[in-house]
Amino acid sequence: MNDSPERKFSAIGPRGLFSSIGVIALSQLVSGHALANEPGEEQLFRAEAYDASEQRTDLAIDKTMEGSCGEGKCGEGKCGEGSCGSNMRMDELAMVMNENKDNIPKDCPQISEDIKLTVKAGREYSLGHNGTIFGFDANEWRVSPCSRITVTFINEDQVRHQWMIHGLPKYLYPQGMYHMELNGEGQVTGTFIVPSNEKNYLVHCDIAQHMEKGMKAQLVVGKGDGNLPSIPGISGAYIPPAE
Amino acid sequence: MIKIKYTSSLSVVVVTLLAGLLGACDKATYEPYKEPPPSIKVEQGEVQAFCPETIDPTWREAQTIAGVEIQESRLCLPDNPSDIAAFVRGTNNLTMTQLMGTQLSTDALVKGRDLDGDGDPDEIHIRLEVVELNGGSPDSSDPMTTFEIAPGVKPGFWAFAPKTRGMATENFESNVANSMLRLPSPTIRVEQGDKVTITLENSHYFPHTIHLHGVDHPYVKENGEGNDGVPQTSGPMIMPGQRFSYELQPRHAGTMAYHCHVQTGAHLLMGLIGLFVIEENRPNNPVQTFNIGAGHVRHPSVAVRESYDREYDLLYIDTDTELHNIIRSSNDVRKIAKSMNREYKLSESTPDYFLLNGRSFPYTLRESIIVTAPDENVKLRILNAGTSMLALHTHGHKPTITHYDGVELAEAAQVTRDVIMVGSAQRVDLKLSTHNDGLHSYGEGIWLYHDHTELGITSNNMMPGGNIATIVYESYLSPEGMPKTQGVSLMPYFSPEYYQRKVPVWSASDPDGQLGEPQGE
Repeated sequence: MNDSPERKFSAIGPRGLFSSIGVIALSQLVSGHALANEPGEEQLFRAEAYDASEQRTDLAIDKTMEGSCGEGKCGEGKCGEGSCGSNMRMDELAMVMNENKDNIPKDCPQISEDIKLTVKAGREYSLGHNGTIFGFDANEWRVSPCSRITVTFINEDQVRHQWMIHGLPKYLYPQGMYHMELNGEGQVTGTFIVPSNEKNYLVHCDIAQHMEKGMKAQLVVGKGDGNLPSIPGISGAYIPPAE
Repeated sequence: MIKIKYTSSLSVVVVTLLAGLLGACDKATYEPYKEPPPSIKVEQGEVQAFCPETIDPTWREAQTIAGVEIQESRLCLPDNPSDIAAFVRGTNNLTMTQLMGTQLSTDALVKGRDLDGDGDPDEIHIRLEVVELNGGSPDSSDPMTTFEIAPGVKPGFWAFAPKTRGMATENFESNVANSMLRLPSPTIRVEQGDKVTITLENSHYFPHTIHLHGVDHPYVKENGEGNDGVPQTSGPMIMPGQRFSYELQPRHAGTMAYHCHVQTGAHLLMGLIGLFVIEENRPNNPVQTFNIGAGHVRHPSVAVRESYDREYDLLYIDTDTELHNIIRSSNDVRKIAKSMNREYKLSESTPDYFLLNGRSFPYTLRESIIVTAPDENVKLRILNAGTSMLALHTHGHKPTITHYDGVELAEAAQVTRDVIMVGSAQRVDLKLSTHNDGLHSYGEGIWLYHDHTELGITSNNMMPGGNIATIVYESYLSPEGMPKTQGVSLMPYFSPEYYQRKVPVWSASDPDGQLGEPQGE
C-alpha cells in the first residue's frame, strides 16, 4: 500500500516535502532580521578553524541554542506564529534538531524498548553499491513500535553529512522530522521516540545529490509498511502508477 | 529587304505574344481559390509575475545590521541584508541568533586577527562546497534542487557555494534550491594583503579543485603542498568527501577569477567559476566576502566608495544544454563521468542559453539591472566565463575601460566606447558615468546593455533572451524594482511557453493574429 500522499512524495524525491532545516529550525525563534541585534547581547558564536589533524571527539554541545516547543506551546511567542517551532542544539561541529527523549507518543502506553544505534557515514560506505559515491554503513534499521532510539552518528568524511528522518508525528516533531548533521568528520548523539504504527520511515542526507548518489535508507518500525524505492541494496527506482 | 525581313519577324513576335496572353486568359490553369487557414489562438500558458511576492520589501532598504552598513538595493530580488552582514563580519563574529538569520554553517566564514592594525580583520578563512542544481534522481525525471535560469528553463549546473547548513531547498515544501545555492558561483572579495585560506569541502560526486586565476598565490604552500589547483602540475584532485585548503596573501588588487581546474572544459562551463576580487587595502575596511549571485555589491569597499556611487559584479557564461543535461541522463556516477568526459564533444558544442549572473532575460530584469541616477559613477566588474567573445554594448552610454584583467590602465590608455570586447576568462573593469553630456550618457531612461554578437541575446534561439539586461535610472523604476517600460508588454516573456517556441512572438501586439499561427501548422 504505497499510495499514501506522503509515500508518493518520498518516492518521487523527498526534497519536495522535507526541506530547509535552517529556515525552519530557527526562523521561528528569530523574527525579521535576525542580525538586527548587536553582538554582545549574547555570547558570540565562536567557530574556530579546524583541520584534519584536529581531534574531534564526541560532541558535548553547549546548549546555547537549545529550546523546546512541543505541543501546546506553539503560537505563544517563543516559537513564532502559526507554526510549531523546533528545538535544536548546535555547535561548530554538529547540529541536532527535534530531539525527543521524554515525550511519549499519544498512541504508546509507554516506551517499549531503548535502542542504541550507531550509524557511520562516508564515501567508504558507498563501495558496496556500484554507481554510488556516498553512503551509510547500513541502509535499513529495524526497531520495535514505541521504542526510544539513541543514534550515534559518525561522519568519516571531511565534508558535511546528515542523518535525517521524515514522517514522524508532527505534534512531537516539527515538520515530522528528526535531524542530525555533522560539519565534517566527528560524531554526535541524539535521541527520538517512534510511535506505535508499523511504518517504513525515509532516512537520508539532504545535501544536494547525496541521497540520489547513495545516502538513502529506511527505518522500519515493527514489520513496516513496504520498502521505499531506490534504497541501495534493497529496492530499485520508483515506478509511477499506470495512468 | 532587310527592313521587310525585320518587320515580318517583329509581327511574328507580336502575334505569338498576343496569342500567349489570350491563351492564358482563355485556358485557366490556376488552382481553385481556397481560403488560407485562419490564425488559431495560441495559449500563452501560465505567465509569471515580474517580481515574485516572496521577497520581504524591507530587504531593499538601506540599513545597518550588526554594525554593517548595507546600501539600498532597488532590485526586484535584492540580496538578503542578514546574509550580507554575515559576509562582512564572519560567521564567528555573530551571535547565535544572528547566525540563525542566515543559512550559513557555523564555520562558513571565519574572520580572525587584524594583522596590520588598521581596524579590519586580515585572517580570512572561507569554506566552499560544491552543489549540483537541477540534478538527477532515480525516481523522477524532474530536476532535483531546482534553479530556473528563465521561465521553465532548468539545465543542470554545478556551483561553488558558501558552506551552509540544513536542507538544500528554500523551504519545507519546495524543491527550489535555497538562496545560497545558485548560479553563478559567488563573487569572493578579500582585501589586498589579507591572509586568506580557502577550504574546498568537496560535497559533490566528482573530483574538483580551485584554481586562482590571476590572483597572486604561491605555487606551493608553506607545507609543500601544491596550491595552484591544477591536477597535472600542482597537486591531487579533491575527491568526493575530501577537503583541501588553498592559501594566499594577494599583494595586488584587482578583478580576478577562480574556477575548478579538473576537466576544465566541462567543469568550468557547468558553473564552477566565479569572480575573485581583491580590494585595495584601506583602514577600517572589512569587505563583503561573498556576493551571492554576483550583481549589486551592497557593502562596497572603502576604495570603491572613494570613487564610485555603486558597484556591480557581472559574470557572463554560455550553456550548451546537451552538456548540462548529462547529469540527469543517469543516476550512476560512472555513466555520468563517461558521458561527460568521453562521449560529449566540446568541438560540437552549440550553446543555446546565455547567462548574466546565472539568469537569462527576462529574469535578468529581476536582479541584474544596473540601477543608477544622474551624475553618478558606477563601477562594473565584468568576467566573461563563456566560450566566445563578448561584445558588450551599452545603450545610451559610453563607459570607460579602466582595468584589463585586474590591472589599471594608464589614463591615456583608458578607452571610452560603447562596445566592449571581453574574451574568454578576461576581466574588464568599467567606469559608467551617468553625467548627461551626450557622450558618457544621453540622459535618464531605461537603456539596454547586452552582448551584441546577437547569439548572446537568444534563449533556445528565441529573442529577446540571453544576457539582455538594462541600465535603469531611479526615476524609471517602480518601488518593486520593475523598470517602467513604455514599449510592448514584457509579460509574454515570463511564460515557459514563449521559450519553448510555442507562442508567436508578436501575439501581444497583434490581437487579430494576422502575424500569428496558421491553423494546422
